[in-house]
Amino acid sequence: MSNVKIKSKNLNVYYGDKQALFDVNLDLNEKEVTALIGPSGCGKSTFIRCINRMNDVIDICKVTGNIEMDGININDKDLDVVSLRERVGMVFQKPNPFPKSIYDNISYGPKIHGKGETKSELDQIVENSLKKSALWEEVKDRLEEPGTSLSGGQQQRLCIARAISVNPEVILMDEPCSALDPIATAKIEELIDELKKTYTIVIVTHSMAQAVRVSQKTGFFHLGKLIEVGKTEKIFKNPDNKMTQDYITGRFG
Amino acid sequence: MSNEHTVKSYEEELQFLKDSLIKMGSLTESQLSDAMDAVIKVDKDSIDKIIKSDEEINKFRSKIDTQIMNLLVKRAPMAIDLRETISSLKISQDLERIGDLSKSNAKKVKPLPLDLPDELLGNLKRLGELVMKQLNDVLDSYVNKNFDKAKEVWEKDEQVDDLTYIAMESVIDFLSKDKKNLDFSTHLIFATKNLERAGDHITNIAETVCYLVKGEYLKGSRPKGKVIQE
Repeated sequence: MSNVKIKSKNLNVYYGDKQALFDVNLDLNEKEVTALIGPSGCGKSTFIRCINRMNDVIDICKVTGNIEMDGININDKDLDVVSLRERVGMVFQKPNPFPKSIYDNISYGPKIHGKGETKSELDQIVENSLKKSALWEEVKDRLEEPGTSLSGGQQQRLCIARAISVNPEVILMDEPCSALDPIATAKIEELIDELKKTYTIVIVTHSMAQAVRVSQKTGFFHLGKLIEVGKTEKIFKNPDNKMTQDYITGRFG
Repeated sequence: MSNEHTVKSYEEELQFLKDSLIKMGSLTESQLSDAMDAVIKVDKDSIDKIIKSDEEINKFRSKIDTQIMNLLVKRAPMAIDLRETISSLKISQDLERIGDLSKSNAKKVKPLPLDLPDELLGNLKRLGELVMKQLNDVLDSYVNKNFDKAKEVWEKDEQVDDLTYIAMESVIDFLSKDKKNLDFSTHLIFATKNLERAGDHITNIAETVCYLVKGEYLKGSRPKGKVIQE
């Protein structure tokens, strides 16, 4: 039985007058991949942005309810958001490396979080992160080249390496493969499989097949509500809710 | 919210698959019934026609296979569509096997003498009628997605087993009266056994329909009647 790493309790999110999430109760298991699916605008990205308090940067955004990580409410006003984001990394839809060298892309995070004080320590972090993101062999001889010189798939793995360089506990992925070709996608999926041994992963995806391939648990959102959540296999073979079934079978009008 | 797929051609492909399977089912029904009639009436003229209709059934099977492969590749079906697709694959396999067994029974008519006593064929006829009814019911349960009806068919296979036992006994009785009956009696024994095996394929279909409708397999083992030791 897996431990619950993150637990959302009656989570509501408002963007001004518009409510984006309604009473979402969702448990994310430790060292498992949870996939979030649903039509655009259903609230799945809003949900994962709550896990690292990314919504804080939006002035009109208001969040009520709790999100507990290891039993501690991360919505607490006194919580140090910087250290939260050290524990919860994020990878976005479009690869967004810094306009810096491959090396600096990885070493930047550890440096600002006060990790890797000496050059050799940083070298080690860079190498380990690139190895964990399955990019090391491809870039080890060109670490000084700009991150943006890499292919799309490589850039996304660089962003994953950047996320894991500060040794987080959770990795959030918001449609990480939607801008990638099938081979690059396969490499990321292979990587997710490997990363879940160490990290708790939440992935937002529009690809049903990807959700089936990479996740153990799947949640279906619609109009800001979590409609159904369960074992991925069950959701895709025999969901309980008709709305889930209509969505995953392509019957949504 | 509508029940139709957003992609119309997907909807059509699934419907086309269901239609093919229903056609294959009704062809299998006619063939089984023709083969039974041929045995009971020792009608040697119909043998070729029955063998020929088996080719038709086999063609349906490969047509359905192709449709399923296309659906899997093009649509990556999920949930009910996935179960519909996989169930069609399994049901078409069982129907094809029932077709083979009917063909085999038609072939058994050739060596039979024309003057078989009624008491010998009576039990075989009853068995044939029951298997026909079972096939008809299971196909109905597929068309109407009727879980209860499929489960009823599944449970009723016990009666097929019992009737098989009785039909076998009457053939063996007849055989033991005169050794010169040996030649064609063995054919009747095989024909009986073939019907029992067709019954087993029908229960497979019933199980598949139950899975198709509810998304879970029937629990426990099917009630079994008397069986002749093989």
